[in-house]
Amino acid sequence: MIDVNIKKRLGGDSSSFLLDISFSVNGGITVLAGASGAGKTTTLRLIAGILTPDEGVIKVGSETYFDAARKVDLSIQKRRVGFVFQDYALFPHLTAEQNIAYGIKTNSKTATMEKAAEMLELFHIEHIRTRIPREMSGGEQQRVAVARALASDPAVLLLDEPLSAVDVETRSKLLDEIETAQAQTGIPFVYVTHNEAEAVRLGRQQVTLEKGRVVNLRLS
Amino acid sequence: MIWEALKLSLLVVSFATVIICVVGLLFAYLLAKFDFRGKEFLDALLTMPLVLPPTVTGYYLIFLLGRRGLLGGYLYDLTGWSVVFTWQGAVIAAVVMALPLMIKASRASIESVNPDYEIASYTLGKSKLETFLRITLPLAKRGVLAGLILSFARALGEFGATLMIAGNIPGKTQTMPLAIYEAVASGDDHRAQALALVLTAISLLAVYFTNRISRSQVYG
Repeated sequence: MIDVNIKKRLGGDSSSFLLDISFSVNGGITVLAGASGAGKTTTLRLIAGILTPDEGVIKVGSETYFDAARKVDLSIQKRRVGFVFQDYALFPHLTAEQNIAYGIKTNSKTATMEKAAEMLELFHIEHIRTRIPREMSGGEQQRVAVARALASDPAVLLLDEPLSAVDVETRSKLLDEIETAQAQTGIPFVYVTHNEAEAVRLGRQQVTLEKGRVVNLRLS
Repeated sequence: MIWEALKLSLLVVSFATVIICVVGLLFAYLLAKFDFRGKEFLDALLTMPLVLPPTVTGYYLIFLLGRRGLLGGYLYDLTGWSVVFTWQGAVIAAVVMALPLMIKASRASIESVNPDYEIASYTLGKSKLETFLRITLPLAKRGVLAGLILSFARALGEFGATLMIAGNIPGKTQTMPLAIYEAVASGDDHRAQALALVLTAISLLAVYFTNRISRSQVYG
């Protein structure tokens, strides 16, 4: 269960943009759709704690991430969100395996490497284990990015247009993998896209934004 | 005599470079990542030694740290010791004079690291310090190393401020640039020549390595 009920004003007085949204969705995959400039990425960044709302409440599961009235504002680190950036933001100086291992919380190096190996296997990327991002294809980078985010055992996974940089053929395959990963881990995903086909394909639950407002809410 | 000055120069520069590395990175990070009141002023103040005549900087150091100085007065009253006319005084002069080079180069380098890498690290549960050490610093290392080598060279050649605060005592505070000055003043051409050649060689090497690092591998 993800509850979002927030307001956030962005930009200066003359060109300001008001994000004023409220939605409540269940687990599984939720598609956050809308044209560019509708406030989708801002919404993800607010949930992750990268940006702070002016007012409102953000809850994921039983945990309150933000509550203006009660002065709750968990740090990014404490929120346990996985974030897949539009350009992946893989650490360019680390290999696929090191990227995935980076956020794994275990007591021993052996356990960390075992978990990393598991993730590499889950996403069928064992063969690029020792490659740095520059040496990977777009699809491979995308898999590493999702694997890295899931490896840290998040309470929710936020994906910001993760397939905008891959070709159509790869896209369909990656969508399958994202659905499989969600089903296997049981972690709720919030998936931002402006692509109609992707939205229809994934969206059993869909929140559509327009100019900073929720214009359509479809729940499963 | 040459050996003595070289040894002292290396001692002073070694201490100065370590201090410059730590303090310089601290200020560079502060200026690159935070907005606070007086930031522009702090930036200007730290840059002053680059543009002021070194004797003026040296004068301020005496004003601050001298036996009757603003801070030095307390130290002298408490311990009966003052940095004036000591090799530690020469270290302070070298640090203050060379610090701006380190701060400028590292700050630019830290600012050029895509902030999404740092945010990604935060979402993976890492603190600001760990993120800086494992992500930002490795990605900014070219600029940081270049700044460090340039500072090293600047500290090695430091003359004016050192003369003001540490004096020119052979075997105690007479570093190589000061020894050259004295050799020329006393008509000892051979010694001046030898010292000048050693200093030139070290500085040339420093610039050579700075250029090599600037051309080395870039990620991303």
